[in-house]
Amino acid sequence: MRRYSPIKFISLAGVALVMALLCGLLSGASDIPPSKIWGLFSFKALDMDHQILQLIRLPRVLLAALAGACLASCGAVMQGLFRNPLADPSLIGVSSGASVGASCVIFFGGTSVIGSGIGLPAIVVGAFVGGLLATSIVYRLATSVTGTSVATMLLAGIAITALSGAITSLFSFFADNEMLRRISLWQMGNLDGADWPRALSMGLVAIPLILVLPREGQALNAMLLGESEARHLGVDVETMKRRLILLTALGVGVAVAVSGVVAFVGLIVPHLVRLMIGPDHRYLIPGSAILGAVLLLLADTAARTLMSPAELPTGVITALLGAPFFVGLLLQQRKRMVG
Amino acid sequence: MLESRQLSLSIAGFKLLQDVDLQVCPGEVTAIIGPNGAGKTSLLRLLCGEIKPSSGEVIFDGLSLDQWQPKQLARMLSVLPQGSALNFPFTAREVVMMGRIPHATGLAKDIEIVDAALALVGGSYLDKRPYTQMSGGEKQRVQLARVLAQIWEPDTCGDRVLILDEPTSAFDLAHQQLTLEIVKNFVRQGVGVLLVVHDLNLAASCADQLVVLNCGRLVAQGAPEHVLSVDLIEQVFNVTASIGVHPRTGSPMVIV
Repeated sequence: MRRYSPIKFISLAGVALVMALLCGLLSGASDIPPSKIWGLFSFKALDMDHQILQLIRLPRVLLAALAGACLASCGAVMQGLFRNPLADPSLIGVSSGASVGASCVIFFGGTSVIGSGIGLPAIVVGAFVGGLLATSIVYRLATSVTGTSVATMLLAGIAITALSGAITSLFSFFADNEMLRRISLWQMGNLDGADWPRALSMGLVAIPLILVLPREGQALNAMLLGESEARHLGVDVETMKRRLILLTALGVGVAVAVSGVVAFVGLIVPHLVRLMIGPDHRYLIPGSAILGAVLLLLADTAARTLMSPAELPTGVITALLGAPFFVGLLLQQRKRMVG
Repeated sequence: MLESRQLSLSIAGFKLLQDVDLQVCPGEVTAIIGPNGAGKTSLLRLLCGEIKPSSGEVIFDGLSLDQWQPKQLARMLSVLPQGSALNFPFTAREVVMMGRIPHATGLAKDIEIVDAALALVGGSYLDKRPYTQMSGGEKQRVQLARVLAQIWEPDTCGDRVLILDEPTSAFDLAHQQLTLEIVKNFVRQGVGVLLVVHDLNLAASCADQLVVLNCGRLVAQGAPEHVLSVDLIEQVFNVTASIGVHPRTGSPMVIV
C-alpha cells in the first residue's frame, strides 16, 4: 500500500480536528448560529446560546477530543510494546478494573461529589482507582527479578479482566433496577456527564501525555525488532516498559474514568494510521492522537444529534462504526495477501 | 577487546557452560563451532550481555559489561541475532536506520551510512520495500545492514566488536561469499568479529581463531589448521571425516 507523507497526514488531520471541533460546537439539541462561536472568547453577553456553548458544549467537545487523543496514542504505545498490531490499551486490565470501581461506587450509593473544590463525582474517582489497581496487579504478576515479561502480562491481563468482569457481574446481580441501569450505561461508554471539572482533569493528564509519548517513538521502534535487539541498540528496555505502562494506565485510567469504556478507538485508530503513514512511532503516536480526537469527536457529535433531543451512548456509536470498519480493513488486508 | 573469564552458566540445575575463557581480538575473526546444544548461543548471549553468567565475567575494553552505559556500549558492540521477530511493515531503509539509534551524528550522516550499508549487502533495491514482504534471505541481509550501520565508523571510546549468530543461514552461495567479504572488510578496519557458524569449511576459511565447544566446555581453541583434526571431529561431532586443503586458499577443508 502506498504510504502518505507523515507530515502531510498530520497537518491534514489537524485541519480535520479544527473542523470537527467547530462541527461539535455547532450541532446539538438547540440550533446555535455559527456567528455565536466568537462569543466564546468573551466573558460578557450571557445570553442562552452563549451559556450552552460555554458550559455544555465546549467542555463536552474538549473532553471528547482529549479522551480520543489519549486512548488512541496509548493504543499505539501498547501495540508497539506488545509487538502486536491488534493490541488494545485495555489489555493491561485498566478498563475492566475501572468497571469494577465504577459499579462498586454505584452499588454502594456513592453519588456524592468528592471535594467540592475539584467537583469530580465519586464514580469518576472510583473508576480511576479501580483501573490503576487492576493494572498494578497485572504489572506485578508479570514482573520478576529478570524483568517484566510482555507475554506474561498479556495473560495476566486476560485473567484480571475475567476476574473484574465477574466482580462487576456480581454487583449487577445484586443491584436494584436503577443501579443496574446506571452500571450498564456506564459500561457502554458515555460522554454525557461532561463538564468543566471532567474536561480539565482529562486535559491535565492527556496534554502532557500526548507531548511526552512521541519521545519514546525511537525506542518503541527498536522494541518492534525484538526485546534483545532493542537492548543491543542501547535502549533501557525495562525502564521504558515500566514508564510506558504507567503512562498508559494513567492516560487510559482517566479517559475511562470520565467517559466510561469507549470501545475501539484505542485499537482502530493506531491501526488505521499505521496503514496510512507506516509503523514509525515518532509519527504514529502524534498521528494517532489527532485522528483519535477527530473520530471520538465525530462519534460523540453523532451520538448527541442522531436521536436529538435524546442521546445515544458514545461507546455504542464508536463500536457500531468501528467494528464493520475494522472487518473491512481485515478483508482488504487479506485480499492483498492473496492477490 | 571482548573477553570472557571463567564464564559459567547454569539454568535450573543444568550446567550449560563451564569455565569458558575466550578472547575476541580487534582485527580478527573468532568463530565458534560445535554440535547442537553445545552452548554456542548461550555463550553468545552471555558475551553480548543479554543474560548474566552464574559465575565468571565478561570484560569489554577493560570494564565489565554492566559497567558500560547501554548507549555507549551500543555504539561499539553490535549483535545480529539468528532470526527476527519484526512483523511490522517497516521499509528496509527504516530498519537499517534503526542501527543509528545509539548515535547522534545527524540525519544527513545517518542517511549516508544507511545508503552505504544497504549497498554493501546488495540490498539497495529493497530500499522502500516493506520488511514483511521480503524473502528470508532479503530480511537477513537487511538485518545485517542494520548491525553494520550501528558500528559503521570507529568510536572514540574504543574498539568495535561485531557479533553474528549464524549470519549466512538464510543465504545462497553468492550471498554467503558476500557476507564473508563484508566481514573481512570490517576486520581490516580493526573490528573484532565473533561468529557462530555450523558450516566447518566456512568457519575454516574466514576465522583467525576457531573455538570449539562441546557439552558446555571449550575443548579446543586456535588457528583452524591446528584445531581441525580427524580426531577432534570424531570426538566432538561424532562423524568420521577427512581433512584436506583448499586448492585455492590453502585453508583446511573438512570432507565428510
